[in-house]
Amino acid sequence: MAAMGVVEDQAMAESDEVDEERRDFLLTATGTVGVVGVAAACWPFISSMNPTLDVQAQAATDVDLSGMAAGATRTVAWRGKPVFVVHRTPEQIAAMAQSEGGRDPAPDQTRVRDARWLVVVGICTHLGCVPNKTESGWLCPCHGSVYDNSGRILHGPAPRNLEVPPYHFAAPDKIVIG
Amino acid sequence: MKLRALICVLLCAASTAWAENALKDVDLDSSPAALRRGAVTVTSRCLSCHSVKYLHYRDLLKLDFSREEVMSMGNLESALLALTPAEVSEQAYGRVPPDLSLLAKAREGGPRYIYTLLTGFYQDQTGEINNHLYPGIRMPDILGWSGADSTQRAALAIQANEAAAFLMWAADPRADERKSLGYYTIAYLALLTGLLYLVKRKVWARLK
Amino acid sequence: MSQRLITWIDQRFPLTAFIKHALTHYPTPRNLSYWWNFGFLAGFLLLLQIISGVFLAMHYKPDVDLAFDSVQHIMREVNYGWLIRYLHSTGASAFFAVIFIHMARTLYYGSYRAPRELMWWSGQVLLILLMASAFMGYLLPWGQMSFWGAQVITSLFGATPLIGDEIVLWLRGDFVVGDATLNRFFALHYLVPFFIVGMVLIHLMALHHVKSSNPSGINLADKDNIPFHPYFTAKDLFGLGVFLIIFCGFVFFAPEFFIEAANNTPANPLRTPPHIVPEWYFLPFYAILRAIPDALGGVVAMTLSILIFAAMPFLDRSRIPGGARFRPLYRVVFYIFVVDVAVLAYVGSQPPGGVIFQIDVAATVIYFAVFLTLPFYSRWEERWLRARGLPPALQALLDSDTELRPRRETRQ
Ligand code: HEM
Ligand code: FES
Repeated sequence: MAAMGVVEDQAMAESDEVDEERRDFLLTATGTVGVVGVAAACWPFISSMNPTLDVQAQAATDVDLSGMAAGATRTVAWRGKPVFVVHRTPEQIAAMAQSEGGRDPAPDQTRVRDARWLVVVGICTHLGCVPNKTESGWLCPCHGSVYDNSGRILHGPAPRNLEVPPYHFAAPDKIVIG
Repeated sequence: MKLRALICVLLCAASTAWAENALKDVDLDSSPAALRRGAVTVTSRCLSCHSVKYLHYRDLLKLDFSREEVMSMGNLESALLALTPAEVSEQAYGRVPPDLSLLAKAREGGPRYIYTLLTGFYQDQTGEINNHLYPGIRMPDILGWSGADSTQRAALAIQANEAAAFLMWAADPRADERKSLGYYTIAYLALLTGLLYLVKRKVWARLK
Repeated sequence: MSQRLITWIDQRFPLTAFIKHALTHYPTPRNLSYWWNFGFLAGFLLLLQIISGVFLAMHYKPDVDLAFDSVQHIMREVNYGWLIRYLHSTGASAFFAVIFIHMARTLYYGSYRAPRELMWWSGQVLLILLMASAFMGYLLPWGQMSFWGAQVITSLFGATPLIGDEIVLWLRGDFVVGDATLNRFFALHYLVPFFIVGMVLIHLMALHHVKSSNPSGINLADKDNIPFHPYFTAKDLFGLGVFLIIFCGFVFFAPEFFIEAANNTPANPLRTPPHIVPEWYFLPFYAILRAIPDALGGVVAMTLSILIFAAMPFLDRSRIPGGARFRPLYRVVFYIFVVDVAVLAYVGSQPPGGVIFQIDVAATVIYFAVFLTLPFYSRWEERWLRARGLPPALQALLDSDTELRPRRETRQ
């Protein structure tokens, strides 16, 4: 740069000098408009990674309850997730009505629409494994969380009760999940 | 720049010239009501042989059909599939009738092609039904155009128009969303570019 | 705080030095016209293609049974999938438009001459990589044009003497363009743009070494250089704004302008569409291919029509700087060449035969003649210009520096 001319040096000196001027209104406005635009332009790309419309529109799952004896459990898929449907025995219902659960207390009647039928999402609220059915509820194979027959967490690392999905009875022996 | 423009102009002229002169001029009626009537025509007539497989019945909800209306046409989650199995059509017509989802984009002239085809049926001297646009077509005269008198044809022309408009929508269901986003984007860019022009002028003014 | 952070970084990485070298203290001729914006635009488009391409790849399925459906899935079910796809498809055309203008600028102003030969050649490699990438990308939507375009272009390699058939088979991995071809094209289409990124870095390193040429063609006195930032950042960004307005006009209002209608029909290996044409940016080269009735000859001519640009620094024997600016004959030839390429493009889009073929042959002859006669008329033109007397400023420059050596050398 030894031979750089006077004018160029001047121009460069000026470009340093303008630093103070830089905060002026026009530059701030243009910068703001530009940054807003770039941020907005990111949105379609981010949004494209969300579930697609066909996945979002995935149908509700129908479950036929006829033929499920008291004490039986079924696992059905709803939006790809396992959902446990349990036909509880009168003893289980009575036992659950007595208890408030453990770490995340909730009365049993707030977790069911019909006390005979328990419907919960079969995904452990700890780190997402699928718990195994036991006599008294569920035991998660991954880190040992124990749930009762209302899907409430009793002990183990899981922080919350098993989630109750949205569902309704379309007929006395038919529920629609979703 | 000039070169680009020239090439583009030449290309458009070339690619549209030969294919489109045989097509009838038609003002597509793309009003919501017309699209709904077009949807009914297509699902009740065309779907007996053709599929529109990239549309699902739930997509018709976007045309402001009520849920019940759509559910009476088909299961919300299923695609608009042909009622006749492909093998049966193939036996009857020699080839599987093409899927209609993209037809309005896949033919030069798009919806005009569809309209011209549907209203191009006639009865030749031997009494056979043929088509002006597609001589030797195997598809039957689905609207009954060849046997209709002029009053009937006026009504059929509207039906063909609406079916073509619906198929255009089916080929490009996001067109409205795209255009409205386009207006905002261009307005924004015009603002930004205007500001950038001022900045550029201001910065360069230091050189004087 | 931020000052301390910068100092911390500078002790470990030449951040400030780099910004000074490349932006705030990078000397740029103040007289660059808007034709010098197109390199920056090319860089922007490269970025846009890579970003939109990566997001498309998250939903695209390279399988002959799924590819077409997956593109429709992107268009209809993926949130803003239609936008991302149209950005990518329109972006490819815009990329070529920008690069062709960039090259035309270089030809017009003679920027390919010493000391910028390596810039020109690295640009040449960029053009070829870009063509390869665009060609392979065009197969991916698996429409009729995709399929038959790939079928025809891969068949060209069959003209190779002795092992032609084996090469075609190897390229396709199948007896026709098929699943294997689609998969490898996808793999390579994803890869090649990153080669382009690498090549652009080389292109830019060379640029920062030799500095920009300018419309006068003369190495400006240092007083006429200004720092790149803020002057040219402002100018480039303004140019980008104008470009984006036009670009978004196509993306939002005429997105299918650059997509052939026939590509909305899934590939059918048993039925060729009645009229197959390549993408517009391949048309001139395609026309040259068809001008030679012999298979091997056609392929050779087409290849040469692209590679011959590389010879420009040798073919142009004139030492008058400033490209077409101070060289009336060269300027006329430049415009003839531009028109000739446009004619070739038109011819390439037409069904072959008859008059079209004759125009094609004539335009092809002119195309090569422009290059091959350049050594003769450029020297003759220089003699004529000198005899007439050059502008004093030019004369002084030529006297002091007959080789027009790189300005770095002259400075030392
Ligand atoms: C991905 C493609 C390319 C990118 C991103 C790119 C980028 C750039 C940039 C940013 C410049 C700076 C100067 C200016 O803006 O004009 C430049 C200069 C240049 N480019 Fe490219 N370029 C590309 C392709 C090409 C091609 C295909 C050629 C020619 C075959 C080419 C030849 C040149 C030459 C000779 C210069 C120096 C010209 C001068 O400063 O006068 N480039 N390029
Ligand atoms: S995931 Fe169930 S206990 Fe950890």
